[in-house]
Amino acid sequence: MNGHAKRNRSIFIVLALAPAIILMTIFMLYPVLSVFQMSLYRWGGYSPDKEFIGFQNFVTLAKDMNFIRAMQNTIVLIVLVTVVTLAFALVFAAILTRVKFKGVGLFRVIFYIPNILSIVVISAIFSAIYDPAQGLLNSVLRLFHPSNWQGVQWLGNEKLVIWSVAIALIWQAIGYYMVMYMSAMASIPEDLYESASLDGATAVRQFFTITIPLTWNTIRTTLTFFVISTINLSFLLVTAMTGGGPNGSTEVFLSYMYKQANTNSAYGYGMAIGVVVFLFSFALSAILQGITKRDVYEF
Amino acid sequence: MKKRWLLTAVVLVASTALLAACGSGSTKNSAKSSGSTSKTLNVAALEGGYGSAPWKQVVKDFESANPGVKVKLTIDKKIESIISPKMKAGDYPDVVHLATGRPDGLTETMIKSKGMEDLSDVKNMTIPGEKKKVSDVLMPGFDGTLATEPYGDGKTYMMPMFYAPTGLFYNKALLKANGWTEPKTFSDLMALGEKAKAKGISLFTYSTTGYMDSLTYSLLADIGGKSFFNKAMSYDHDAWSGKDGTQYFNLVGNLVKQSDKTTVANANNENFRKNQQLILDNKALFMPNGTWVTGEMKDAPRAKGFEWGFMALPGVKADTRYAYTYFEQIWVPKQAKNKALAKKFIAFMYSDKATKDFLKGGAVQPVKNITSQLDAEQKQFYGIYDNGAKVLTGSFQSAKAVEGVNMTDTLFGEITSVTNGTKSISQWQQDVVKAADQLRE
Repeated sequence: MNGHAKRNRSIFIVLALAPAIILMTIFMLYPVLSVFQMSLYRWGGYSPDKEFIGFQNFVTLAKDMNFIRAMQNTIVLIVLVTVVTLAFALVFAAILTRVKFKGVGLFRVIFYIPNILSIVVISAIFSAIYDPAQGLLNSVLRLFHPSNWQGVQWLGNEKLVIWSVAIALIWQAIGYYMVMYMSAMASIPEDLYESASLDGATAVRQFFTITIPLTWNTIRTTLTFFVISTINLSFLLVTAMTGGGPNGSTEVFLSYMYKQANTNSAYGYGMAIGVVVFLFSFALSAILQGITKRDVYEF
Repeated sequence: MKKRWLLTAVVLVASTALLAACGSGSTKNSAKSSGSTSKTLNVAALEGGYGSAPWKQVVKDFESANPGVKVKLTIDKKIESIISPKMKAGDYPDVVHLATGRPDGLTETMIKSKGMEDLSDVKNMTIPGEKKKVSDVLMPGFDGTLATEPYGDGKTYMMPMFYAPTGLFYNKALLKANGWTEPKTFSDLMALGEKAKAKGISLFTYSTTGYMDSLTYSLLADIGGKSFFNKAMSYDHDAWSGKDGTQYFNLVGNLVKQSDKTTVANANNENFRKNQQLILDNKALFMPNGTWVTGEMKDAPRAKGFEWGFMALPGVKADTRYAYTYFEQIWVPKQAKNKALAKKFIAFMYSDKATKDFLKGGAVQPVKNITSQLDAEQKQFYGIYDNGAKVLTGSFQSAKAVEGVNMTDTLFGEITSVTNGTKSISQWQQDVVKAADQLRE
């Protein structure tokens, strides 16, 4: 009797888990494994003949200066977007939750709007802002310059263009993370702030000693989001806005991978880049989780 | 405990079986479609600037001329994104109309992986519904190049379709108003640049660096004739590093340095029309482009009295000027199921009926009697060959894919860096020579 019930129970467990396991296998495990497998081949993508070349693709990758530049660009974007967005989003979130003023709801909506826009729309908006002749940015700057001023080539100067891309990414990300932090901050009990202010703590002091420690877990989680979403969104934005140009100066991980796999007929090489991106984002997220680990404060 | 493991194993097996079922499902489907109606021809075509209407008409004509044949036409502005996932899964169209030089390079990939059917016999086929052979009507200069015989072995793998001459576009009225004449040589062109500069007009602009291809090809032939052009296209070291090669880099390098200041910032897919607009606004004198640009910019605002002008690229010497011709290709994948019918369909492309249908949409087929049927604007474009310019076709030879090395990215992509002064002309040349060396090995 007991054994029978036990067996029924395990059947039930397996059946309940089966749909998830099957879906995971088909849509996650199998594709990831095939990416790893294909990265070991020289293959154009269409022909039946695949040549097994071991880790040769990875050796080539380490010497490919274009790939290294794409990697540098991605890292610059991840660092910039994470640091700047995190700072702005936290401050805005704290202001909107802690300070009582008219139009809090309106501001929340306005900050969130960029996030519901498609990346293609954002690229069109920023192309218009950065336009060297009639763009918003140069038109404002022109007020402070002589009339024959040439203007800044926001998307034409190879040293500037990655910053222009970063600004667009930050602009679209702030609202999303702000809303996340706001929900975490809203759950902090009011009496903590009350007692702190009775002790004479300023708003700034309260922010660093109450708000930040108590939202720490949310911040940690968003760090992983920052890594993943910057890698993905930078590809979309770069593809739509600059096409990786001028001359590859805005090429990022995934845009370079796409180019190699689909335009340069080096599908296996592209998959090798995919493997590097996979390991990179995994490792970076793990490191970020590791170094930000501390005791969770309860309230 | 044991049973639990067994069950887990069963689940895993079941999931694998499901995977396998997915895989075999697609092949079963395609087998069915080719088995029950063996006379269905799958045609995939790129919807270019000419729209989809002419293709639909041609397909209708082909169907009525061949009773029992059904043509399934897939036409899209980005046809490669529709057919390539299917092709990766083993479902191939019978006929593909998609040229080389597209950003995704599907046609190049098919060439590199030797995935195309030999079409050499199509030229000797009789055009369906007519008495002439395909080779009788085909315009000379369009076959026998690397664009139709990608391996240079005398075998045709792609047939030429719509062609469009390229050259420099400008505003006729602007030249006339200033009393300037069309430059015939590069030194005339640069001299004109100085005069234009005094009036605050830039000499040059380009839509994106990809548009520098036609200018590059024409100029290479201007410098050293077709033999030099072919050497350069087969990644010859001396062609790119030698005296003639150096002349090419210097001419183009100094030309693009005269580009309008905003060109590089707008030389991307989002903003390239702003560069084309510079011509319409009289802010730049010349841009390299193809005949479609007038249609592309037809709704754009323009300077008063603006009139499109078009000329072959100025030569190094006034009497030898080549004008590169884009043409689109049509081909049959090796894995196509109805190869015989596919070839018949391609032969039909050169029939009077099909040519007229295409011409209605503005697409010009490379057949012998075509120029007499063109309208006035088209005659201006297609007439440059009557005014002394020589036909040039073909492009880079198909090379083995080299990881991380791309000739067009280096040769054309780096032009932006030369334009804004980040790279010197000699650095650009060195990079191109290095890429050529790697691709040749």
